[in-house]
Amino acid sequence: MKRIILEGIIILLFIVSYSSAQSPSFTGYVRNYTGVLLNGENDYAIIQNTFNLNIEDSKDMVAFKVNPYIYQYPDKELNLYLREAYLDIYFNAVDLRIGKQQIIWGKADGVFITDIVSPKDLSEFLLRDFDEIRIGITALKADYYLGNNTFEFVWIPKFTATKMPVDSSIWCPKLDFPIKPIFDYSQKEVGNSLKNSEYFAKYSVLSSAVDFEIMAGYMWDDDPTMHIEKIIDSSTSKLDSLFITPKHHRLGLVGGSFSTTLGSFVLRGEGAYYSNKYFNSENPTLSDGTAEKNYLHYLVGVGCTLWDININGQFIQQAILDYDEQIVNDKFDNTLTFLVSKDYLRETLRLELFSYIGLNNSDALIRPKITYDLVDGFELLSGANIFVGNEGNFGRYDNNDMIYTKIKYSY
Amino acid sequence: MTTIKKIQILIVVMIVALPVYSFAQEKITGLQIIENVYNRQTGNDMQSDLTMSLTNSRGDERVREIKQFIKEFDESEKKIMFFVLPADVRNTSFMNWSYDEVDKDDDQWIYLPALKKVKRISSDSKSDYFMGSDFTYDDLGDRKPTQDNHKLLREEKVDGEDCFVVESIPKDEEYMYSRTVSWIIKDKWIGMKKEFYDEDEEHLKTLIVKKYEKIKDYWIILHSQMHNVQKDHTTDMELENVIIDSGIPDRKFTERIMKRGL
Repeated sequence: MKRIILEGIIILLFIVSYSSAQSPSFTGYVRNYTGVLLNGENDYAIIQNTFNLNIEDSKDMVAFKVNPYIYQYPDKELNLYLREAYLDIYFNAVDLRIGKQQIIWGKADGVFITDIVSPKDLSEFLLRDFDEIRIGITALKADYYLGNNTFEFVWIPKFTATKMPVDSSIWCPKLDFPIKPIFDYSQKEVGNSLKNSEYFAKYSVLSSAVDFEIMAGYMWDDDPTMHIEKIIDSSTSKLDSLFITPKHHRLGLVGGSFSTTLGSFVLRGEGAYYSNKYFNSENPTLSDGTAEKNYLHYLVGVGCTLWDININGQFIQQAILDYDEQIVNDKFDNTLTFLVSKDYLRETLRLELFSYIGLNNSDALIRPKITYDLVDGFELLSGANIFVGNEGNFGRYDNNDMIYTKIKYSY
Repeated sequence: MTTIKKIQILIVVMIVALPVYSFAQEKITGLQIIENVYNRQTGNDMQSDLTMSLTNSRGDERVREIKQFIKEFDESEKKIMFFVLPADVRNTSFMNWSYDEVDKDDDQWIYLPALKKVKRISSDSKSDYFMGSDFTYDDLGDRKPTQDNHKLLREEKVDGEDCFVVESIPKDEEYMYSRTVSWIIKDKWIGMKKEFYDEDEEHLKTLIVKKYEKIKDYWIILHSQMHNVQKDHTTDMELENVIIDSGIPDRKFTERIMKRGL
């Protein structure tokens, strides 16, 4: 394994050294990211060194991009990954993109409603930069252009699930079971066959009055449903054993988004109707502890600039239709996001505060940060991730409050 | 026609035309001068490489490089810019559609490669500085002549060029400048110098055009410098590889090209 990684690095270095005389462009960054928990021991939350390389070239009607990257941690082996590796073919009114790629849809910031084509890497919860949260997927993407109208079709032959934190990670969600469960992973993988493909389609318009998108998808749920089987000891009527079988299910969805300006305000909206989503339920009549429901996920947002301060707010609601009181999730799950930022010193110094606020559990993630460009392309960033509350999506990480620095050289 | 007859006709033409010319010279207003500058023809389309050099009071310099394309449409002007330097903003693109209709705001979008998304942004903040430079969006030519009251102050020679000197006072009292004074070259309608005064009537900035050339029958400003006299900043804006009327296709000004890049 080490040899393979070493060979990969040698190839990368060769490519970079070769770059100066050849036409492909070589860009990217080198970054150090160090975070310290604000718990009593001040444990390191992360010490990560990153080398990110974008190799791109185009010739007439064809182009390619490869984006290898390395994460290096002091206590682990080098990890060499490929975020994107695709080929483009440009026709008069049609573009084709074939290969591993990130596909981003929707108008929302930091929320995934119609932006569900590329699965998420949640190894560090939602803390990674957005280009690092999206996992590249092998797909065929075709765009047909008619003026300012775009028709987009995506075929994903092989399903990729959400990447969850490893069990030892501070970001691994703590599961609360009365007894230690037995996991059966035999059904977790989605078969490697054509019939298990995912399909997406989108129609979008960019116009003077409004930008909007209408989309549909026939996909797999990126997050597995935990099917729960309880064995009760008939003599004592107590729970004897607990079997959990993670399984991905098919989902269908239709949705859309829009963005427009009203004077100095930018208004945004995004929504999707999901069908056949499995939710965990405590209803004893259900044999596997799950209930199949449809649900709505939508957002409204507004942004403006006041006194040179950029201000953005979003309200997000997830509503389960035909709700059953014994479903573990709330019928309505409400979240706010809030972003304020201001630039100083000719846009070389930036102050920013971004927060998610969970209204159901009164929890929040507050992310202040300050960024300074020491020289062009060399960025110093210092920030904090503060989790508020005791439960909910953010409150459950209350012990993971941290401060961090990122030093980044872009080339 | 004999030479004497030609001279007679010429004299008659001069006698008739001279008062008309003088009348036109006397009657030109500050608004007309500024409209002539705003409407100066620069071709149906133009592409160029723009370099902005930002220098602070200590002499430290930061450089931004942009590839830009501009095209006139029936009732609008469309512009698309691709950021080349610095490295951390490379492949970012910006598109602006501005309209002839007086009260219609511009439409603006930005493509951020890290987000892989084209985002609509508000064009309301014309007083914002462009990429940290000393130029606001208005300074770059977006401000419509009807937004100010213009007054012709005098005529004078600057660097050998006959100039109109025009004072412009914004109709909006909340605007970032209390007034500006422009030196406009008479026969070229180029503003070769402009002074900006802040809300307290203090001298804030001076713009000087350092180089202009006639390219394909159009006068094009190739190098201008904005000096913030209060903070002692300067921004030099230079155009290179200027190509005019090359027939840039309409599809250059679309979301497709914003995402694809250069």
